[in-house]
Amino acid sequence: MFTTPRLVAIALCAALNFAIGNVVYLVKLPIYLDSIGTILCALLIFPDRLAALCCAFIAGLIGIILTGLVLNPFLPWFAGSVLVIALISALLTARASDTFRARPLQPLPFFGKVILCGVVTGVGSAIVSAPVVAYLFGGVTGSGSAFVVAFFLKAGEQLLSSAMLASLAIDPLDKVLQVLLAALLYRATPREFIAMLRVPQTSAPRAG
Amino acid sequence: MTPNGAIGFGLILIAAAGTARGLTGLGVILALLIAFALASRRNIAAALLWSLGIVAPLAAFMALVWIGFVGRAPHEIAAGVEGSRAAAATYAATVCLRLFIIAFAVQALFLRFAGWTPLRFVRALTAPPLVKKLLVLTLSLIETILQAIDRARTALVAGGLITRRFSQVNLRNGWLLVQTVWLTVIAIAIGRTRDKWPIEGTLSRLDHALAAAAPRPAIADFAWGAAAVLCLGIVWGLR
Repeated sequence: MFTTPRLVAIALCAALNFAIGNVVYLVKLPIYLDSIGTILCALLIFPDRLAALCCAFIAGLIGIILTGLVLNPFLPWFAGSVLVIALISALLTARASDTFRARPLQPLPFFGKVILCGVVTGVGSAIVSAPVVAYLFGGVTGSGSAFVVAFFLKAGEQLLSSAMLASLAIDPLDKVLQVLLAALLYRATPREFIAMLRVPQTSAPRAG
Repeated sequence: MTPNGAIGFGLILIAAAGTARGLTGLGVILALLIAFALASRRNIAAALLWSLGIVAPLAAFMALVWIGFVGRAPHEIAAGVEGSRAAAATYAATVCLRLFIIAFAVQALFLRFAGWTPLRFVRALTAPPLVKKLLVLTLSLIETILQAIDRARTALVAGGLITRRFSQVNLRNGWLLVQTVWLTVIAIAIGRTRDKWPIEGTLSRLDHALAAAAPRPAIADFAWGAAAVLCLGIVWGLR
């Protein structure tokens, strides 16, 4: 499962997760793009689904550990979200890999699948991350979603349900953007590199 | 102290901070953490300031939301009582102190191994060889990506495609920077995997370098580990 090119792909995607934060910072974009490498890893290693899941999860995990050590010490608490994102990417998003690489680009299926996969990833991620946001951060993570949480709290909602509702309102939008960027990077990846990630098929001798 | 002992110590204290419910318990953890950082015999001011810098914006947001806007603590909302801003302030202070401890724990670990290279640190860890190899490869590729970002950014700024500060042009063309960096890094990765590493025997050398057994636990590992477990016990006792 872990061939040398796949190890390189995992490291590359983990490094991408780490470095994309720097890009966002340099370009001064008001968004967080912390799982593009995880989604991209699943796309690159598909159709081997188990390998896609394992590699995407490891890439995401290494990414949050290193980012946690250097930039954001609270990120490792979201390891559960990384697992869910890897799972959805390997089982759902990667199935659209042919559409993402189709030439010429077919806008309707491309964007339809990006939105569908992004929304599902966002909902899954929101459900898993809401308890962490509620308990560790008191519902306030420093992003604009804090005001959504405050609105629900003021309306009398419990902390956990407020964090969940805010995450459900914000995460799908963020994840649609992340799936879009991962799909575009996957589209731009040279065929040669994707071919290196395929495990060579060995022909077993047949009895009789 | 060995990296394994330091990580174990840090994880126990972070677990203690995660489970502590009051300011007293968190205060005990912070005191132990500061003692640990001071024992490294390095200047801890930068580590404290870095942690403060991470938590300060969150604290401001939290004060705004909980004290200014909501005006009562979560347990008061759950109980359906009117609540008070003082209770909300205590809650916000508890959450902020917990976050500060988590941030400072990471910095305190860094202080212990400030003179170490990443390769030396990873070598000394007790972990499967595959995990160590992935960590080293990722650290190496992060350097590659950061250099690629620097070069691509300079080129795109010089070409007038993006600007150094936030602008609408960046929103429109920021994608070009991401794509340029990705293609550069992919080209480097293909070159290394297919040509450079096999000729130089890089991966077998790396396997050999990482195969060394982790150092045996030192007395300091046991001492700080025992202190962390004691601290965890006190925190649980205070719950």
